[in-house]
Amino acid sequence: MSDDTLLQSRRGFLRALPAITAGVALPMGNATAAEDKHHWAMLVDVRKCIGCQACTVSCIMENAVPENSFRTIVSTYVVQQQVEGRMTASTYVLPRLCNHCDNPPCVPVCPVNATFKRDDGIVVVDGDRCVGCAYCVQACPYDARFINHDTNKADKCTFCAHRVDAGLLPACVETCVGGARIFGDLNDPKGELRRRLDAAKQSDPDAIKVLKPESGTRPNVFYIGLDTRFQGRVDGQAALWRPSEHGA
Amino acid sequence: MNPSIIEVVNVAREVAWLPWAVQYFFLIGLSVGCFLLTTPWFVLRRPAWERASRMALLGALACGLTAPVALLADLHQPGRFLNFYLHPNFGSWMSWGAFFIPLYLGGLMLYAWLALRPDLKRLADAGGRWTGIYRALAYGGHDSLGAIRTAAVLALSGAALVALYTGMEVMVVRARPLWDTPFLPVQFFITAVAGAIGLVLVLDHFVGDGRAVEDAPLLRLLAATQVLVLAVGAAWLLLGITGFSPRHAEALAQVAPSTAWRITAVWATGSALATFWLGFFARHPAWRLTAGLVALHSAWMMRWTVFIGGQEIPKTGAGYYVYHLPLGHEGLLGIAGTAGLWLTVLILLISVLPWAGQRRAQA
Repeated sequence: MSDDTLLQSRRGFLRALPAITAGVALPMGNATAAEDKHHWAMLVDVRKCIGCQACTVSCIMENAVPENSFRTIVSTYVVQQQVEGRMTASTYVLPRLCNHCDNPPCVPVCPVNATFKRDDGIVVVDGDRCVGCAYCVQACPYDARFINHDTNKADKCTFCAHRVDAGLLPACVETCVGGARIFGDLNDPKGELRRRLDAAKQSDPDAIKVLKPESGTRPNVFYIGLDTRFQGRVDGQAALWRPSEHGA
Repeated sequence: MNPSIIEVVNVAREVAWLPWAVQYFFLIGLSVGCFLLTTPWFVLRRPAWERASRMALLGALACGLTAPVALLADLHQPGRFLNFYLHPNFGSWMSWGAFFIPLYLGGLMLYAWLALRPDLKRLADAGGRWTGIYRALAYGGHDSLGAIRTAAVLALSGAALVALYTGMEVMVVRARPLWDTPFLPVQFFITAVAGAIGLVLVLDHFVGDGRAVEDAPLLRLLAATQVLVLAVGAAWLLLGITGFSPRHAEALAQVAPSTAWRITAVWATGSALATFWLGFFARHPAWRLTAGLVALHSAWMMRWTVFIGGQEIPKTGAGYYVYHLPLGHEGLLGIAGTAGLWLTVLILLISVLPWAGQRRAQA
């Protein structure tokens, strides 16, 4: 099992800790050479998400996200339905984040080329160049971007690129209590992400879904257990709680 | 709305294009529309249009000089505009806008200067404290129709490109079905021209001698724009209702359940019908002023509804985001500040440059 494979989930990471500890003393030449081949992606197993928002909080702490702004959040819904003739209410949770699309609508609209897709698939914003025009915020079909009120520039999930570049997992994956978020390299056929995706497809060809597939954005955040009623804009009653005030 | 799904926790994305953007699109649209209204006199030399075209030139300059300030304010840090020129992305309509705006405003100012040179000379000849400055500005005071027409072509190119980019910039946002319609650039343009006619009527009332509207068929033109506004609106609605265009149907489905949106639609239709009626039957100066103010209000409301209302529609969440106009610079103060700047520029232009009434007084 390669180091990359070991790093692809929280549990895998913990299992691999001894190897990582030993590995830090080794030359990194091979890892650097392989960087071009990465295609980072995330699989969210909705069935395992308990809606605890640990990912939301860890993302805020890791990335210094301003108060009442979110790079990721677990949207939570109450769904009423008839079960055996009785009306029941259940909870549906859906972790949301930037989809790091292969065809990202936010990139071509940027007037100054500040937002771009890295070779490893991560969509990032060059804060030095961003003018805060919010065109990318408008273009994102997932409401994944916002204007950071501390910097007055575009902000979004980066898959914790600074951590990934250092060989670590994104903060949200690291802290996911239910192990619902699996991060890894799509180009690694033996990696946990690839294996989970392939296994899910084998059991059910429609098991893997993305948000708003009709938009043609080709997301790199995949879902298992995604209810089609939540795949696009949710048709339901508005949120009971929505943070909207900012600290500016 | 599906009553069996209740959203308990989700993020509400704030309005990211602030009222500054509304002000910019409103003012630059008015400027472009006003510029078009200057051409019957300054380019084509239709005598009936002289007063109206002079008021229109005043409006084009006041709005054109104010609009970019609102745009810069929306960047939160005005100095950031330099990046538009240092790192342009020519695949983005907004990037092109950074080049079209100076082209238009440069052409407009050159055109205005050439058009006003004879009047500047008259001011210089009349003597007074500023004679030297006026004489220098007049630069001989020639009424060179060829030069004016050349500058008009430059300004017209800029105006057409500004009208194109402002419409396309919003239209290409596929993530918002309400914006993603080829009708939007057309609607922006028609309402801009209608608003410009309204501005000329208002300026004619307060700055001119009130006779521009008697000489030129401004009111009929205003009525014609309202026919187009209603026709385009009806076409949009028809495409949405019939489902002939899935995108328009999706946009309609997003706004139709909202009471606020239904009231807005009735308001916009009522305003267009009222303006149309005033265009035909307004004879008293007060009613002409009313027609102008209603047309201006419609042009502004259209942009407010598209930008602020459009951003109240979540892309993934349920229901609607709720927008409360902040009182500070990101809200009411920004709107009032832009209006104040516009008024200041207008007063400066009236004070230092020769307009219709002054020209006649000098003549």
